[in-house]
Formats: sequence, structure tokens, C-alpha cells
Amino acid sequence: MKVSLNWLKDYVQLDAPIEEISRAVTFVGLEVEGIIRTGAPKLENVFVGEVLTRDKHPNADKLSVCTVDVGPAGGVKTIVCGAQNYKVGDRVPVALPGAALPGDFVIKQAKVRGQLSDGMMCSAKELGVAEDAAGLLILTDRPALGTPINEILPPGDTVIDIEVTPNRPDCLSHLGVARELAAWFKKDFVYPEIKFQGAVSAARPELLQGVRVEAPEDCPLYSAHIVTGVKVCPSPAWLQDRLRAIGLRPINNIVDVTNYVMFEYGQPLHAFDAKKIAGNRIVVRRANDGEKIVTLDGKERTLSSRTLVIADTQKPLVVAGVMGGENSGVDDTTTDIVLEAAHFRRQSVRWTSKHLGLSSDSSYRYERGVDPHSTIEAARRALDLIVATGGGQIVGPIHQEGGDKPWLREIVLTPDYVRAKLGFDIADAEMKTTFEALELSITRDEKLADGSVQWTVAVPSWRDDLDRPIDLVEEVLRHYGTERIPAAVVQAPGLTANDDPIVQFNRRVATKLVGHDFHECITYTLRPEKEVATWASQTAAAELRLSNPFIEDQSHLRPTLMLGLLESLRLNQSRGVAVSRLFEVGRIFVERNGQNLECAAVAFIIAEDQERRWKQRESADFYTAKKLTAELAAAAGIDFTRQPLGPVMGNEMGWQADHSCSAGDLQHGWMAHCGLLNLAMVKSMGIEGKIYGGLFAILPEKVTAESTRLRYTPFSLFPAALRDLALVVEAHTPADEVRKQLAKIARAAVGNVFALENVQIFDVYQGKGLPEGKKSLAFSLVFRAADRTLKDDEVNAVFLKIQDEIAKAGTYQIRK
Amino acid sequence: MESQLSALLAKAQAEFPTLATRPDFEAAKARYVGPNGEFTALMKQMGSVPKEQRPAIGKLINEAKGKLQPLLDAALARLEQAELAAQLGPAVDPTLPSPDIGPGTFHPLTLVREEMCSILRKVGFVVADGPEVETEYYCFDALNTPADHPARDAQDTFYLPDTVRFGNVSKKTAEEKYLLRTHTSSVQIRTMLKGQPPIRIVSPGRVYRRDTSDATHSANFHQLECLYVDKNVTVRDLKALLDYIFASLLGKDTKTRFRPHYFGYTEPSFEVDLSAKHLPKVNKEWIEIGGCGMVDPTVFDAVGYDSTVWSGYAFGMGIERLAMLLYGIDDIRYFYQNDARFLKQFA
Repeated sequence: MKVSLNWLKDYVQLDAPIEEISRAVTFVGLEVEGIIRTGAPKLENVFVGEVLTRDKHPNADKLSVCTVDVGPAGGVKTIVCGAQNYKVGDRVPVALPGAALPGDFVIKQAKVRGQLSDGMMCSAKELGVAEDAAGLLILTDRPALGTPINEILPPGDTVIDIEVTPNRPDCLSHLGVARELAAWFKKDFVYPEIKFQGAVSAARPELLQGVRVEAPEDCPLYSAHIVTGVKVCPSPAWLQDRLRAIGLRPINNIVDVTNYVMFEYGQPLHAFDAKKIAGNRIVVRRANDGEKIVTLDGKERTLSSRTLVIADTQKPLVVAGVMGGENSGVDDTTTDIVLEAAHFRRQSVRWTSKHLGLSSDSSYRYERGVDPHSTIEAARRALDLIVATGGGQIVGPIHQEGGDKPWLREIVLTPDYVRAKLGFDIADAEMKTTFEALELSITRDEKLADGSVQWTVAVPSWRDDLDRPIDLVEEVLRHYGTERIPAAVVQAPGLTANDDPIVQFNRRVATKLVGHDFHECITYTLRPEKEVATWASQTAAAELRLSNPFIEDQSHLRPTLMLGLLESLRLNQSRGVAVSRLFEVGRIFVERNGQNLECAAVAFIIAEDQERRWKQRESADFYTAKKLTAELAAAAGIDFTRQPLGPVMGNEMGWQADHSCSAGDLQHGWMAHCGLLNLAMVKSMGIEGKIYGGLFAILPEKVTAESTRLRYTPFSLFPAALRDLALVVEAHTPADEVRKQLAKIARAAVGNVFALENVQIFDVYQGKGLPEGKKSLAFSLVFRAADRTLKDDEVNAVFLKIQDEIAKAGTYQIRK
Repeated sequence: MESQLSALLAKAQAEFPTLATRPDFEAAKARYVGPNGEFTALMKQMGSVPKEQRPAIGKLINEAKGKLQPLLDAALARLEQAELAAQLGPAVDPTLPSPDIGPGTFHPLTLVREEMCSILRKVGFVVADGPEVETEYYCFDALNTPADHPARDAQDTFYLPDTVRFGNVSKKTAEEKYLLRTHTSSVQIRTMLKGQPPIRIVSPGRVYRRDTSDATHSANFHQLECLYVDKNVTVRDLKALLDYIFASLLGKDTKTRFRPHYFGYTEPSFEVDLSAKHLPKVNKEWIEIGGCGMVDPTVFDAVGYDSTVWSGYAFGMGIERLAMLLYGIDDIRYFYQNDARFLKQFA
């Protein structure tokens, strides 16, 4: 809201420089958005002068040499001037040497093309009162020669644009802001004097028969006053100046007064032309569904049965609390007016304003809260101003429906409580001063049995936000000044808890991947529907859709981190930036059996290295991704390598069949995918090359801080005996299945005599020398005894037995 | 014998320096001192030497042996050195860059978050976490945000359809809607409901606002909030924390100030400005950096803490905003594009 400094000065003496006032506004809790100066600044040494002569400059075509009389301010001066819009005899502003014009332009006696010039004749722009500079400012009113220019220019004003927090609707008015400033500067606060104290004359049913409120729950108070014989005309200059200063366009005296009082008291008002009220009755009612009204902005609005309107006997006149209709406003022919001052429930106004997509200064105030106990007072203030600016007579009794429920709110507070909450000392007297300045009167000041002081503080009706002792602590602190809070050292006890396990997990995986040369990315959670449907499933897309996306390509929760990573990769590729390894740590949302699960997740991608290098390194493959994914799972305490690995199924379409795998299941708390991303889908995103990746996701509640304490396993200090064995198996048989089978046979053959320490695959071969559809897997078997060096004979015996068993089982062939 | 020995030595002296490989060396060595070697054969003749000549012959043999051994040793040493030299290959050019990719980098938002968390850990705050999909209760109701508050409006907050269920995000009431949290204050509520005071947590995390994306706004961004609940917590303690945080982060010349403000979940409430003119690209004296206040008693009531016993403060700020200030970044979108030229600057 814009507040005019001149206006504020009607209620409080503000002589501090604007910087101080701005600081005060800030520290009472009203944010300063900007400071705007309007009108003429203070201009020393600029006077009214008259052009006596005008001759062409001997050395310049476009300049003139003039003599100018500034009367008692210095007599006749010679001035060189470049303007063209004046003639001899015109009166104009003249800046004499020493004058400082806006923009730090100091006027000096100077030679212009060889001609002495003793000052400057000024344009409106040069004086800082207008934007345009179409020549000199001709003073057509012909003010007296030598008059200081400030006396005839519109007075300057300073406008502070403030942002009022939702708890302080009282400060959506000049009186509210002035009250705060008066308290801050410890100055007196003066209300405007109101002359009209209620009409006594007889009723005037031909103008207004009565008011009926049909929806008192949304309109607890409605008042109407009648003024007859009013002259509708332009407002006086002071009123126009103030409205213009705060960004309003003056219309006529009646409309201007209602606006003025709204910005003075915070109470919206509305003036009707009495002639336009059909049936001479005002009805506050709900609109009929589909009922129409053309509002003052010229738009036709269709109303609903929830909309509250002010109507006459035939039609709606005003959308209550929001905007008047075109059909009932005051115009130049109006002579009798009905002035509405009412209270509308904030929820009702908010609903209507939102529903119609129409907000106004009035609806803004009602939505935030207008003080119903000042409504009539504001109406009387407006009546004073209407009579002052348009004449006329206030007639008939006030038509009032609903009433002023007496307001009483008291808060019991001890100054010790205030000090305890603040953590530093403020004297009782200083608190009292603040309360008084804010019209929070202390109605009882007691000494309690323990010697402490207790106050009962009465809260004024416009401070509905104050309800509890803690609210008054804020009042004290605001006016004490938050800059005076004394410095202190943080009191910090030792930590007895650790960071959340998820936080620790996130930190571990990020550190690990950075250690593996990955760049951490952060991408958006919200993704387009098409992507989610393609990469996860239609079902997932249906479950993950927001009900109110802001833009269509950010409509769904991400089911995977891969999409954001691929998009980042694509961006780098399109910009010609070589990058290969990216990862992200963040939440994903996975649909399972008709419900969603929020998961903590980490994912990485490895693109082909596009940097040209003087020496080639081996590129990543499936097994790189597998190892890294296993490390991520290990960070959550999960041994990925012990889990059965299968193809990626279900809602994960982004993985390339036969070149990726999956482990775990969210049903049981976690899942992992790794391998090659679907080539076609990657290509369709506009990405070059093969992309390997891995993703590990876990339900947050499954990440625990507990880790099992590891125990040491003793190991033998005697040498191992190694035997190699190659098996020919069906090409599609998983290697680990063979390995496990071999290990089982070998372990049985070894028995308890010594130990089979390990069975490890060291070669995979398929091709020449092997039958079609077969592959050879070579294993190294490691035997060891805990207590001695193994003899060749005993190892050979066992090794033969293993080979016999394999031959007997017949599934695998021993490769000779 | 003497002549035989000197002939043998001469032959060895000529042969050993020419040996090129270890197998050559081993073969040569065997020819001299192996079981069937020439020198061994001479030594074996000792048995047939008359007893009185033995000392003299023995001495000759020992002298010869003494001369032969260094020849062997030298040859071996020479070969070993040649072998090592062969392993080395040509000298490296240390000025060539490593052909390996890397190093990896943390995202700047992570760096700022972790730095803030570490500053706060020093004064007893532990890092808490919570879901990004939230319910109206945890995000608004428990934080004293009335049902008709504009912040709850579908204009500003992302909601999920009523039909959608989240298996692992708990609701307080069956009717309430799921939404994307608009602040991490919901973590404070969950933490308070789960435990008992005293509580000292910092909750960093992703939050969502339904807003136009531009240089300073993004549909999702990151916040960091502190909550302290204990007995006798004061406004002065809160100011001390803020002074400590920003002096730790930006140096002791940094100043903070409180401007009274309004938030539903704190009373009194303040906006926090900081003054750090020593930072580059800071052309304003005071920069708004976050909001804070004393926990409103209503919030304690909502989580079942006795507000006459417990008091506390909360502070929240945007991580992007801080990172932009710290690193002089002027467009929030850079954080989400992940251009490697941007990311690599934070190595």
C-alpha cells in the first residue's frame, strides 16, 4: 500500500528525514517496498520572473538572449535561453545562480557562446514536477514577480510503498500507519475531527425507504446515510493531490471522498445515486444463480447464489465488498446520494473475489479484516468531507441493520513474562509507553502477592491480531527496536543424537559417487506426463499426476531419477560440453499395486566419454554399473550381490532387455536396477551413444541407523592349493548358477578334512572349438587347511572326486 | 691345475659380461659351478691330489673361486638392472594431462547445505528428514495456518488428487489431501510428534511452490530450517544463533538484523537481513536471507507440548538464495540445468 507522507502528517508530527521515517516503517514491521517522491522538490533560489525582452543570440541560431524581471528577488537579469515556446510578457520560473535543480544541477553565472547568462528559465521537467520538457513552464496564472516557486507549485510529497503483513489490516490505512509512527517517534497521534454526529431530521422515504439484510451471517452490519442537494464536481486540489500521490485517479468529489476515507480509515465505502435505487430500498441478499451485473470496470459478471450483492428491489447494484455496478454509481447529474458503510464477512468477500477473478482495494481490505467498530465513524468522516466538497445536507435518520457488538478484549500480562520471553531487560515504564502509544490501555495495574507487577491490557477493536500475552511481547519488542536486542553467545549442549539415517545415507552415496568421478546433479521433481508414461507406465502416470499442475510439462511426480539425469546429459551434449558421469540423490515416487511409495533414491548414468584424449581408457560396461549399484546398496546396509538378480520388470520400461538387471523389490523395502538404458528410448530423447546406469531406491523408513557390529573371522596362515576346472554348459545358463553348483559339489567332496575356500570364475568362452549353443566357464578352486600345508595327493584325490561327481550329474561337461 | 684354473677364469671373464638374459646366465653359471660344471670338476680333482700338495692346490682353488664369484655377482646384478630397466619403458612426460575422467563434484546446493548443516551441528543441531509429499495437517494445520489461508490455495500449492494414496506417508485424518510440501516446517511437526523436547534439529530439503519459473523462482527449490525447543528459550538466543550462523558462513564482519514480520507459526516473527559488504556482487547494504521467530504456542498445542513449559525458536531460509549470494550466481535455473561447465566450478 502506498502512504503519503503529507497525509500522515495530518495525524502525527513527522519532522525526521525520510531515511529515518523509512527505517521506522521497517522496524515497526511494515516492509518498505519503495520510496517515491512526487510534486516539486524544495527549490531554493527559483522565483517567478517575467520575460521583458527576447533577442536572437548573436552567435547561435537556436538561442535567445532575454532580459527577465524577477522583481524583489533580484531585479532584471540577462538570461540565455534555448526554449522556443514563450513570448515577451510570459511569466516563467527562473533559477538564479545558486539554485540547485533536481539531479544536482547547480545554476551558476556563465557565458553561453560569449553571452553572459545570469540564471536559467526552467521547464516543468527541470523543476522536477513533470516528465515532459516541451519548453518552459509558462505560469498562466501570472503569480507575483519574485514569488518563491515552491509557493505556487503543487507541494512535493513523499510516498512510501509498504507491504503490510496479513496480521495487520489496521495498517492498510493512513491512520494505522500514522499510529505506528507516532508510537515509534514518541509523538502525539491525532484523529481527524469529525463534525457530523448523527442526523436528527425526519425520514426521507422518497430517497430511501429502508435497508434489509437477508444474509446477516455475511453482512453483520450495514449502514446507509442520505445526503441531498450535493454538487458533484472535481475534488479540491488537496484531495486530488493526495489520491494521485498514492496512485489513484481522481474521479469526482463523491467518489474521491469514499476512496479517501477508505485509505484513511481502512473502511471501504460506497456512494449510490439515490435516484438509481429502484423502489428506494436497499436489500443485502445473495445473488440468484446466473444473475448478471456490469461492474465499474465495464465487464459483465455472472453471479452465483453464494455471491452477496447489494440490490434494490429489481437488480443487483454492487457486488458486496468487491465492486460497484455501472448502473448505480454517482455521476455528474447526481444530486442525492446514499452512502453505504458496511461490514462483510471476510470469507464471503474472499470467495466472491476469487470466484469472479476480481479484486479491488475494497475486497483486499475486507479479505484481510476491517474493524467493524470503526465503520460508522468512517461513514461520518466521509459525510463531513462530502458536505465540505459538494455541499448538500445530511438528512433523515441513519438506516442501520445489524450492530456493533460491544468489543472487549483484555490480556493479562506481567512485565516479567515479557522480559523472560525476550531474554533481556526492558523497563516497565518503557513497555507502558509503548502500550499507551498503541492505544493498548492498561486497565488494571496490580502488585501480586509475590511483589511482581501484573497488568490487564485492553486491546482496541482494530487489533484483532492481539489475543495472548505472547502477542504483546511482540508489540513491546517492535517498538523497543529489534536492533537493540543485545548480542549473546549461542548456548550449545553436546549432541546426543545423530543425523537422520536417510541424511547419512544420502551423504555416503554422494561422497562415494563423487569419489568415482561423477558430477552431482539436481533436477526437477516434476516431469511431463508423456515421459512418465513412457518410462514407467500408464498406470504410474495416472497415479503420479498432480491435481493442479502449473505448466503441462511439469505435471507428474518423477518415478525415477533417470529422466532428469538424461535431460541434463542431453543439455550438455547439445551445448557441446563433454560430460560422462552424472548422478543425483533425491526422492522418487513409485506406483506399486495402486498406491504410491515415496522413496529415497540415488541414480547415476555413464555416457560414452566424448572428450578426445591422447590415450584411450577402457569404457564402462554393464559390470561397471553393477559394481557401482552394489556399492550404493551397500551404503544402506544391503548386500546386493547376495540377492537374486532378474530382468527389470514392471513399471520400469527404460532399461534395455538382456543388458540390464534388477534386484530387490519395493514391496520389501528396496529395489535396484542397473545396466544399459533402452537404446531406442535414449535415442528418442536426443541423446547420443550408449548409456549405462544404475538406480537404488529404498523406502525412507527402511533406512536404519543400526549397523551390525562386524566380527573378525580367523584365516589360515598356510598356503592354498589351486586347481582350475573348465565346464562346458548351455550358453544361456547363468554363470553364477554353475558356480554355485560347482561349489556345492566341491564342498561335499572336501568334507571336513580341509576347506574349499573359494570358487571363482576366471574365464568365459564361447566360439571356435565348442559346440553351437554352448559356452565354457573356467573356475579356479581354492583349497586350504587351517592347520597345515595341504599335500598334492589329498588335493588331487578331492579334485578327481569333484570331476567324477560332475560327470555323474551330467548337467555340465568337463572341458578337457 | 694352475693353468687349467687360469684358463677357466679367463674364459669366464670373457663370457659373463656378454650374457644377455637370465636363462643364458643360469646356463653359463651351471657350466662353471653347477654339479657338472667345469670348476666343480676341478674341485672334485682335489681328492686325487697328493696330500702334501693339497694346501697349495686348495689355496689356488680358493683364489680362483674368489675371483669367479664376483664375475657371477656382477653379471647377475647387471642382468637384474637390465630387467628393471626393461619394465620401465620410456620416460613419462609429466606435462601430459591424465587421460582419466574426473574429478567428480558435489552440486553447489549440496555444498551450501552441508556447510550450513556442519555449522549448525557445532551448536548441537542434528539433521532431520521427512517426506516431500505431505498432508495438509503436517504442512498447514499443525503450523497454525487457517483453512482459508491463501498459502493453502490451489493457486500456490501443488495438490494430489483425492483418489491417490501414498503407502508410506501418514495422514492425520482420512479426509485431508496430499500435497507437495511448501516448506520443510512439516519436518518440525513430524519430529516433535515423534519425540520429546528438548529438540534441536535442522531440516534441509526440497520444497514446492506453484509459481512461474524465472531467474529467481523455481517450481521446486530447497530450504533449510532450524527448530529449537527447550525451557526458557528467548528472542535473544534466536538472535545469537543467527549472528553465529552468518559470522561462521561469511566471516565475522557479517551483521544480521531482525525486521518484525508475520508468520502463522511463530510469535514474534522476524525477517532476517544480513549485511556482508565484503562479498562480491552485493550492492545492497541489507539482503533479506530468511525468516525466523519464536515458536507460536499454538504449534506446541498442536503437537501436545505444554506451551507454558516449553519454548523455542525456528529459523528458515532458501538454500538457492544463499548459494546465489555466496557464489555470485545470478540465475536460479543454472542449479537445475547441470551444465558441466557450471558443475565443474565447484570441484
